[in-house]
Amino acid sequence: MTTPQKTIFNIETGETTTRDFNETELAQFNADKLTAEQNAEALAKAQADKEATRAAVLTRLGLTSDELLALLS
Amino acid sequence: MAKQTFTSGQVLTAAQVNALQSNDFNQTVTTKTTSYTPTTTTDIGTRVIMNSASATTITINTSIYSAGDTFFISNIGVGVCTLTTGTCTITTAGSLAIPQYGGGTLYFTSASAAIYYPSAGPTASSGLTYIGGGALSTTSTTFSSAFSATYDNYLVTVNSLTPSTGTPNMNLTLGAATSSYVFSNMYANATAAWAFSQGSSSASSIYLNDLGASTAPQSTRIEIMSPFIAEKTTVLATGLNYTGSQWLYTVGAHTGATSFTSFTLSSSTAATLSGTVRIYGYANS
Repeated sequence: MTTPQKTIFNIETGETTTRDFNETELAQFNADKLTAEQNAEALAKAQADKEATRAAVLTRLGLTSDELLALLS
Repeated sequence: MAKQTFTSGQVLTAAQVNALQSNDFNQTVTTKTTSYTPTTTTDIGTRVIMNSASATTITINTSIYSAGDTFFISNIGVGVCTLTTGTCTITTAGSLAIPQYGGGTLYFTSASAAIYYPSAGPTASSGLTYIGGGALSTTSTTFSSAFSATYDNYLVTVNSLTPSTGTPNMNLTLGAATSSYVFSNMYANATAAWAFSQGSSSASSIYLNDLGASTAPQSTRIEIMSPFIAEKTTVLATGLNYTGSQWLYTVGAHTGATSFTSFTLSSSTAATLSGTVRIYGYANS
Protein backbone atom coordinates (compact mmCIF):
# COMPACT_ATOMS: atom_id res chain seq x y z
CA MET A 1 0.00 0.00 0.00
CA THR A 2 1.24 3.50 -0.84
CA THR A 3 2.12 5.56 2.21
CA PRO A 4 -0.40 8.38 2.70
CA GLN A 5 0.99 11.87 2.24
CA LYS A 6 0.68 15.10 4.18
CA THR A 7 0.83 18.60 2.72
CA ILE A 8 1.82 21.52 4.93
CA PHE A 9 0.89 25.09 4.02
CA ASN A 10 2.70 27.72 6.04
CA ILE A 11 0.19 30.56 6.04
CA GLU A 12 2.77 33.07 7.28
CA THR A 13 5.52 32.36 4.71
CA GLY A 14 3.50 30.85 1.87
CA GLU A 15 5.82 27.84 1.83
CA THR A 16 4.27 24.48 0.87
CA THR A 17 5.78 21.06 1.46
CA THR A 18 4.45 17.58 0.76
CA ARG A 19 5.88 14.44 2.33
CA ASP A 20 4.96 10.88 3.33
CA PHE A 21 3.38 10.32 6.75
CA ASN A 22 6.06 9.79 9.37
CA GLU A 23 5.90 6.76 11.71
CA THR A 24 3.93 8.57 14.39
CA GLU A 25 1.40 9.92 11.90
CA LEU A 26 1.06 6.54 10.23
CA ALA A 27 0.46 4.80 13.57
CA GLN A 28 -2.18 7.39 14.51
CA PHE A 29 -3.77 7.12 11.06
CA ASN A 30 -4.05 3.33 11.32
CA ALA A 31 -5.43 3.53 14.86
CA ASP A 32 -8.02 6.13 13.78
CA LYS A 33 -8.94 4.07 10.75
CA LEU A 34 -9.51 0.99 12.90
CA THR A 35 -11.62 2.97 15.37
CA ALA A 36 -13.70 4.46 12.53
CA GLU A 37 -14.31 1.02 11.06
CA GLN A 38 -15.32 -0.37 14.46
CA ASN A 39 -17.63 2.58 15.07
CA ALA A 40 -19.23 2.15 11.64
CA GLU A 41 -19.77 -1.56 12.28
CA ALA A 42 -21.24 -0.88 15.70
CA LEU A 43 -23.53 1.79 14.28
CA ALA A 44 -24.69 -0.46 11.45
CA LYS A 45 -25.36 -3.29 13.92
CA ALA A 46 -27.26 -0.98 16.27
CA GLN A 47 -29.42 0.24 13.38
CA ALA A 48 -30.05 -3.31 12.16
CA ASP A 49 -30.96 -4.44 15.70
CA LYS A 50 -33.31 -1.49 16.09
CA GLU A 51 -34.99 -2.25 12.76
CA ALA A 52 -35.34 -5.94 13.66
CA THR A 53 -36.90 -5.06 17.02
CA ARG A 54 -39.29 -2.65 15.34
CA ALA A 55 -40.31 -5.25 12.76
CA ALA A 56 -40.85 -7.86 15.48
CA VAL A 57 -43.10 -5.53 17.48
CA LEU A 58 -45.14 -4.65 14.38
CA THR A 59 -45.57 -8.35 13.60
CA ARG A 60 -46.80 -9.03 17.15
CA LEU A 61 -49.26 -6.17 16.81
CA GLY A 62 -50.34 -7.28 13.36
CA LEU A 63 -49.58 -3.86 11.80
CA THR A 64 -47.64 -2.73 8.78
CA SER A 65 -45.21 0.21 8.88
CA ASP A 66 -47.66 2.37 6.92
CA GLU A 67 -50.49 1.54 9.34
CA LEU A 68 -48.29 2.47 12.29
CA LEU A 69 -47.34 5.78 10.66
CA ALA A 70 -51.05 6.48 10.03
CA LEU A 71 -51.78 5.87 13.69
CA LEU A 72 -48.97 8.14 14.85
CA SER A 73 -49.59 11.00 12.39
CA MET B 1 0.62 80.56 -7.93
CA ALA B 2 -1.40 81.98 -5.09
CA LYS B 3 -4.52 84.04 -5.70
CA GLN B 4 -3.67 87.51 -7.04
CA THR B 5 -5.34 90.85 -6.49
CA PHE B 6 -5.21 93.08 -9.52
CA THR B 7 -5.82 96.81 -9.24
CA SER B 8 -7.29 99.30 -11.65
CA GLY B 9 -4.77 100.42 -14.27
CA GLN B 10 -2.32 97.63 -13.52
CA VAL B 11 -0.71 96.00 -16.56
CA LEU B 12 -1.57 92.29 -16.71
CA THR B 13 1.52 90.51 -17.96
CA ALA B 14 1.72 87.32 -19.98
CA ALA B 15 3.74 85.80 -17.14
CA GLN B 16 0.93 86.46 -14.68
CA VAL B 17 -1.67 84.95 -16.99
CA ASN B 18 0.53 81.93 -17.59
CA ALA B 19 1.12 81.52 -13.87
CA LEU B 20 -2.60 81.67 -13.09
CA GLN B 21 -3.36 79.22 -15.92
CA SER B 22 -0.65 76.96 -14.61
CA ASN B 23 -2.47 76.58 -11.29
CA ASP B 24 -5.58 75.43 -13.13
CA PHE B 25 -3.78 72.75 -15.09
CA ASN B 26 -0.89 71.91 -12.77
CA GLN B 27 -1.93 72.89 -9.31
CA THR B 28 0.46 74.72 -7.06
CA VAL B 29 1.60 72.49 -4.21
CA THR B 30 2.84 73.41 -0.78
CA THR B 31 4.24 70.57 1.31
CA LYS B 32 4.11 70.74 5.10
CA THR B 33 6.04 68.36 7.33
CA THR B 34 4.70 69.63 10.65
CA SER B 35 1.36 70.80 11.98
CA TYR B 36 0.09 73.86 10.16
CA THR B 37 -2.07 76.85 11.05
CA PRO B 38 -2.73 79.06 8.01
CA THR B 39 -2.45 82.76 8.73
CA THR B 40 -2.81 84.08 5.18
CA THR B 41 -4.93 83.23 2.14
CA THR B 42 -1.94 81.86 0.24
CA ASP B 43 -3.44 78.34 0.05
CA ILE B 44 -6.69 79.32 -1.69
CA GLY B 45 -7.11 77.38 -4.92
CA THR B 46 -3.97 75.34 -4.33
CA ARG B 47 -3.06 71.99 -2.82
CA VAL B 48 -1.53 71.57 0.64
CA ILE B 49 0.27 68.28 1.09
CA MET B 50 1.00 66.97 4.57
CA ASN B 51 3.97 64.64 4.81
CA SER B 52 4.87 63.55 8.32
CA ALA B 53 5.60 60.20 9.93
CA SER B 54 3.86 61.35 13.09
CA ALA B 55 0.38 62.77 13.61
CA THR B 56 -0.18 66.36 12.54
CA THR B 57 -2.98 68.92 12.56
CA ILE B 58 -4.19 71.72 10.34
CA THR B 59 -5.84 74.30 12.52
CA ILE B 60 -8.30 76.68 10.89
CA ASN B 61 -9.08 80.05 12.45
CA THR B 62 -11.66 82.68 11.56
CA SER B 63 -11.28 85.80 9.46
CA ILE B 64 -8.55 84.42 7.22
CA TYR B 65 -10.72 82.99 4.48
CA SER B 66 -13.97 84.20 2.96
CA ALA B 67 -17.13 82.50 1.71
CA GLY B 68 -16.37 80.59 -1.49
CA ASP B 69 -12.67 80.04 -0.80
CA THR B 70 -11.45 76.48 -1.23
CA PHE B 71 -8.23 74.54 -1.13
CA PHE B 72 -7.35 70.90 -1.36
CA ILE B 73 -5.59 68.98 1.41
CA SER B 74 -3.70 65.73 0.82
CA ASN B 75 -1.85 63.55 3.30
CA ILE B 76 0.97 61.40 1.97
CA GLY B 77 2.65 60.79 5.33
CA VAL B 78 2.13 57.82 7.65
CA GLY B 79 0.96 60.15 10.41
CA VAL B 80 -2.73 60.96 10.37
CA CYS B 81 -3.45 64.64 9.74
CA THR B 82 -6.48 65.97 11.60
CA LEU B 83 -8.34 69.07 10.51
CA THR B 84 -8.84 70.96 13.72
CA THR B 85 -11.30 73.65 14.62
CA GLY B 86 -9.40 76.64 15.88
CA THR B 87 -11.83 79.52 15.97
CA CYS B 88 -13.39 78.51 12.64
CA THR B 89 -16.06 75.80 12.65
CA ILE B 90 -15.40 72.81 10.39
CA THR B 91 -18.17 70.34 9.60
CA THR B 92 -18.06 67.18 7.51
CA ALA B 93 -20.16 64.14 6.67
CA GLY B 94 -17.02 62.04 6.98
CA SER B 95 -14.03 62.27 9.22
CA LEU B 96 -11.71 65.19 9.86
CA ALA B 97 -8.87 62.71 10.33
CA ILE B 98 -7.07 62.31 7.01
CA PRO B 99 -5.23 58.99 6.68
CA GLN B 100 -2.16 58.43 4.52
CA TYR B 101 -3.12 58.91 0.85
CA GLY B 102 -6.42 60.45 1.89
CA GLY B 103 -7.49 64.01 1.16
CA GLY B 104 -10.34 66.34 0.40
CA THR B 105 -11.54 69.85 -0.30
CA LEU B 106 -11.98 72.44 2.43
CA TYR B 107 -14.71 74.86 1.38
CA PHE B 108 -15.49 78.01 3.34
CA THR B 109 -19.11 79.07 3.65
CA SER B 110 -18.15 82.17 5.61
CA ALA B 111 -15.15 83.65 7.37
CA SER B 112 -15.93 81.52 10.41
CA ALA B 113 -17.31 78.27 8.97
CA ALA B 114 -16.04 75.65 6.57
CA ILE B 115 -17.12 72.26 5.25
CA TYR B 116 -14.62 69.51 4.60
CA TYR B 117 -15.48 67.16 1.71
CA PRO B 118 -13.25 64.12 2.05
CA SER B 119 -12.48 62.34 -1.21
CA ALA B 120 -10.88 59.45 0.62
CA GLY B 121 -11.72 58.43 4.12
CA PRO B 122 -10.07 55.92 6.37
CA THR B 123 -10.06 52.38 5.09
CA ALA B 124 -13.24 50.62 6.15
CA SER B 125 -12.40 47.97 8.69
CA SER B 126 -13.68 44.51 7.87
CA GLY B 127 -15.20 42.14 10.38
CA LEU B 128 -13.78 39.17 8.52
CA THR B 129 -10.26 39.09 7.14
CA TYR B 130 -8.88 36.54 4.72
CA ILE B 131 -5.73 35.06 6.23
CA GLY B 132 -4.72 32.42 3.71
CA GLY B 133 -5.50 28.95 2.48
CA GLY B 134 -4.53 26.32 0.00
CA ALA B 135 -5.65 23.40 -2.12
CA LEU B 136 -6.14 19.98 -0.58
CA SER B 137 -4.34 17.31 -2.60
CA THR B 138 -3.11 14.63 -0.20
CA THR B 139 -4.58 12.46 2.57
CA SER B 140 -3.76 15.03 5.22
CA THR B 141 -3.18 18.78 4.97
CA THR B 142 -1.79 21.01 7.70
CA PHE B 143 -2.17 24.78 7.74
CA SER B 144 0.62 26.08 9.96
CA SER B 145 0.89 29.61 11.39
CA ALA B 146 -2.84 29.98 10.78
CA PHE B 147 -3.75 31.08 14.32
CA SER B 148 -2.24 34.01 16.18
CA ALA B 149 -3.01 36.59 18.81
CA THR B 150 -4.52 38.82 16.10
CA TYR B 151 -7.82 36.92 16.08
CA ASP B 152 -9.65 34.94 18.77
CA ASN B 153 -12.04 33.20 16.34
CA TYR B 154 -11.70 31.80 12.83
CA LEU B 155 -13.84 30.68 9.92
CA VAL B 156 -12.56 27.96 7.60
CA THR B 157 -14.42 27.16 4.39
CA VAL B 158 -13.78 24.11 2.24
CA ASN B 159 -15.21 24.13 -1.28
CA SER B 160 -15.19 21.53 -4.05
CA LEU B 161 -14.39 18.89 -1.45
CA THR B 162 -13.82 15.56 -3.17
CA PRO B 163 -12.24 12.31 -1.95
CA SER B 164 -10.29 10.28 -4.50
CA THR B 165 -12.26 7.12 -3.64
CA GLY B 166 -14.87 5.65 -1.30
CA THR B 167 -16.70 7.40 1.50
CA PRO B 168 -14.09 8.61 3.98
CA ASN B 169 -14.71 11.02 6.85
CA MET B 170 -12.96 14.36 7.01
CA ASN B 171 -11.42 14.92 10.44
CA LEU B 172 -9.92 17.94 12.16
CA THR B 173 -6.98 18.06 14.55
CA LEU B 174 -5.39 21.07 16.19
CA GLY B 175 -1.61 21.47 16.40
CA ALA B 176 0.01 18.14 17.25
CA ALA B 177 -2.74 17.10 19.67
CA THR B 178 -4.01 13.54 19.15
CA SER B 179 -6.18 13.33 22.28
CA SER B 180 -8.61 15.34 24.42
CA TYR B 181 -11.10 15.85 21.60
CA VAL B 182 -14.85 15.55 22.16
CA PHE B 183 -17.48 15.77 19.44
CA SER B 184 -21.04 14.96 18.53
CA ASN B 185 -22.47 14.62 15.02
CA MET B 186 -26.10 15.03 14.13
CA TYR B 187 -27.75 14.45 10.77
CA ALA B 188 -30.25 17.03 9.60
CA ASN B 189 -32.53 15.21 7.22
CA ALA B 190 -34.47 16.80 4.40
CA THR B 191 -37.62 14.76 5.07
CA ALA B 192 -37.17 13.10 8.45
CA ALA B 193 -36.32 13.91 12.04
CA TRP B 194 -32.81 14.97 12.91
CA ALA B 195 -30.82 12.07 14.25
CA PHE B 196 -27.75 11.51 16.33
CA SER B 197 -25.01 9.97 14.24
CA GLN B 198 -21.96 9.45 16.38
CA GLY B 199 -19.90 11.10 19.05
CA SER B 200 -17.02 10.59 21.42
CA SER B 201 -15.83 11.97 24.72
CA SER B 202 -12.23 10.87 24.14
CA ALA B 203 -11.43 11.11 20.46
CA SER B 204 -8.15 11.61 18.64
CA SER B 205 -9.75 14.11 16.23
CA ILE B 206 -13.02 15.87 15.52
CA TYR B 207 -15.22 14.14 12.93
CA LEU B 208 -16.33 16.89 10.53
CA ASN B 209 -18.20 15.37 7.61
CA ASP B 210 -18.95 12.23 5.59
CA LEU B 211 -17.55 12.48 2.08
CA GLY B 212 -18.34 10.49 -1.02
CA ALA B 213 -16.33 10.18 -4.20
CA SER B 214 -19.40 9.39 -6.30
CA THR B 215 -21.51 12.27 -4.96
CA ALA B 216 -18.81 14.95 -4.63
CA PRO B 217 -18.09 17.79 -4.65
CA GLN B 218 -19.23 18.94 -1.22
CA SER B 219 -18.62 22.03 0.90
CA THR B 220 -18.01 22.35 4.60
CA ARG B 221 -17.98 25.38 6.88
CA ILE B 222 -15.92 25.20 10.06
CA GLU B 223 -15.93 27.72 12.93
CA ILE B 224 -12.96 27.49 15.29
CA MET B 225 -13.16 29.50 18.49
CA SER B 226 -10.19 30.35 20.73
CA PRO B 227 -7.58 28.10 19.10
CA PHE B 228 -4.68 30.43 19.96
CA ILE B 229 -5.91 31.28 23.43
CA ALA B 230 -4.70 28.77 26.02
CA GLU B 231 -8.17 27.54 26.85
CA LYS B 232 -10.67 25.04 25.45
CA THR B 233 -11.07 25.31 21.66
CA THR B 234 -14.62 24.99 20.37
CA VAL B 235 -15.45 23.79 16.87
CA LEU B 236 -18.74 24.04 14.98
CA ALA B 237 -19.03 22.61 11.49
CA THR B 238 -21.70 21.86 8.94
CA GLY B 239 -21.99 20.66 5.39
CA LEU B 240 -24.06 18.51 3.07
CA ASN B 241 -22.84 14.96 3.43
CA TYR B 242 -22.26 12.36 0.75
CA THR B 243 -25.95 11.36 0.57
CA GLY B 244 -26.92 14.71 -0.90
CA SER B 245 -30.01 14.87 1.32
CA GLN B 246 -28.49 15.06 4.79
CA TRP B 247 -26.46 17.77 6.47
CA LEU B 248 -23.97 16.74 9.08
CA TYR B 249 -23.82 19.15 12.01
CA THR B 250 -20.77 18.82 14.20
CA VAL B 251 -20.10 20.31 17.60
CA GLY B 252 -16.72 19.55 19.07
CA ALA B 253 -13.90 20.79 21.20
CA HIS B 254 -10.36 20.24 22.32
CA THR B 255 -10.75 20.26 26.08
CA GLY B 256 -7.18 21.09 27.02
CA ALA B 257 -5.99 24.60 27.87
CA THR B 258 -3.71 24.60 24.86
CA SER B 259 -2.62 27.35 22.47
CA PHE B 260 -2.58 26.16 18.85
CA THR B 261 -1.10 27.83 15.77
CA SER B 262 -2.06 25.17 13.21
CA PHE B 263 -4.80 22.77 12.21
CA THR B 264 -5.00 19.70 10.00
CA LEU B 265 -7.77 18.34 7.77
CA SER B 266 -7.44 14.61 7.10
CA SER B 267 -9.21 11.79 5.37
CA SER B 268 -10.10 8.85 7.62
CA THR B 269 -8.88 6.47 4.90
CA ALA B 270 -5.88 6.54 2.57
CA ALA B 271 -8.04 8.41 0.03
CA THR B 272 -6.64 11.78 -0.92
CA LEU B 273 -8.83 14.85 -0.59
CA SER B 274 -9.08 17.68 -3.08
CA GLY B 275 -10.74 20.98 -2.41
CA THR B 276 -10.14 24.64 -1.73
CA VAL B 277 -9.53 25.81 1.83
CA ARG B 278 -9.88 29.45 2.86
CA ILE B 279 -9.12 30.72 6.36
CA TYR B 280 -10.59 33.94 7.75
CA GLY B 281 -10.13 35.70 11.05
CA TYR B 282 -12.99 37.41 12.89
CA ALA B 283 -11.96 40.90 13.99
CA ASN B 284 -11.66 41.18 17.77
CA SER B 285 -13.03 44.71 17.66
